[in-house]
Amino acid sequence: MDEETWGLIWIFIPILLTFGPFLFSWIFGNWHQKKKQKQLVEREAAFGKDPLSTLRNPTGEVKQSTLLVSNITMSVSWWQGLIGGIHSIFGGTITTWDKVLAWGRQEAMQRLRENCRNSGFDEIINLRLETAEIAGSKGKTKALEIVAYGTAVKF
Amino acid sequence: MQPDAAAAQPQQIQVLMSNTETIPGRTIAQSLGVVTGSTVRAKHIGKDILAGLKNIVGGELSGYTELLQEARAQALQRMVTDAVKRGANAVVNVRFATSSVAGGAAELFAYGTAVVLQ
Repeated sequence: MDEETWGLIWIFIPILLTFGPFLFSWIFGNWHQKKKQKQLVEREAAFGKDPLSTLRNPTGEVKQSTLLVSNITMSVSWWQGLIGGIHSIFGGTITTWDKVLAWGRQEAMQRLRENCRNSGFDEIINLRLETAEIAGSKGKTKALEIVAYGTAVKF
Repeated sequence: MQPDAAAAQPQQIQVLMSNTETIPGRTIAQSLGVVTGSTVRAKHIGKDILAGLKNIVGGELSGYTELLQEARAQALQRMVTDAVKRGANAVVNVRFATSSVAGGAAELFAYGTAVVLQ
């Protein structure tokens, strides 16, 4: 190979090492997240009547009740983290975090619905959603935990 | 080892829990004060590495989800043990709090009011 080709290779290798992981993360992250989100939408559509409510009092005579908790830990992909970092320089809406958190909350609520049905309860009252940051070791893995809980009642 | 002791005695007294001000459909006879339960959990290093890899594509980190689920169940169990010790048969207005402690550990805290139902 001549000098010119080698020169190009020496330029491309650092570029690939720097942006390669992010490119990989962009392609596979998008694919993975889209797939999961599609599954969630299907599960929600198949579920039928929504048993969740933030009402303080149940809408009927209660025979049995219990506390039900569902949780999920969400994190953005490397690519989304990078884009989020760029967004936060200029301020405004950080769309990548925005999407992931909305999705996580939806998923946590869907899990609570399924949890409610599987344990044989009819309705969940006083639904609460909480978000907490879970620090990874040396602050590397930034993850957020979303908890959905409420009182399940059986009529 | 509180959780083991609690697990050793099978549920002689069924403690009802709710996050509303009463147990729906029941009347509270007496309040016995606040009961708490907490646990601090750190992540297994292998799980942390796996989570780091999973982080490339984003989305759910199921290792952490399970870990926190177990930890929360333990905090609730400790709270219930506390309530049983006071002679309560229900805990109302249960709340959760999570805080990250230094070194990649998280504290899960559950608290509520122990009551005696009629």
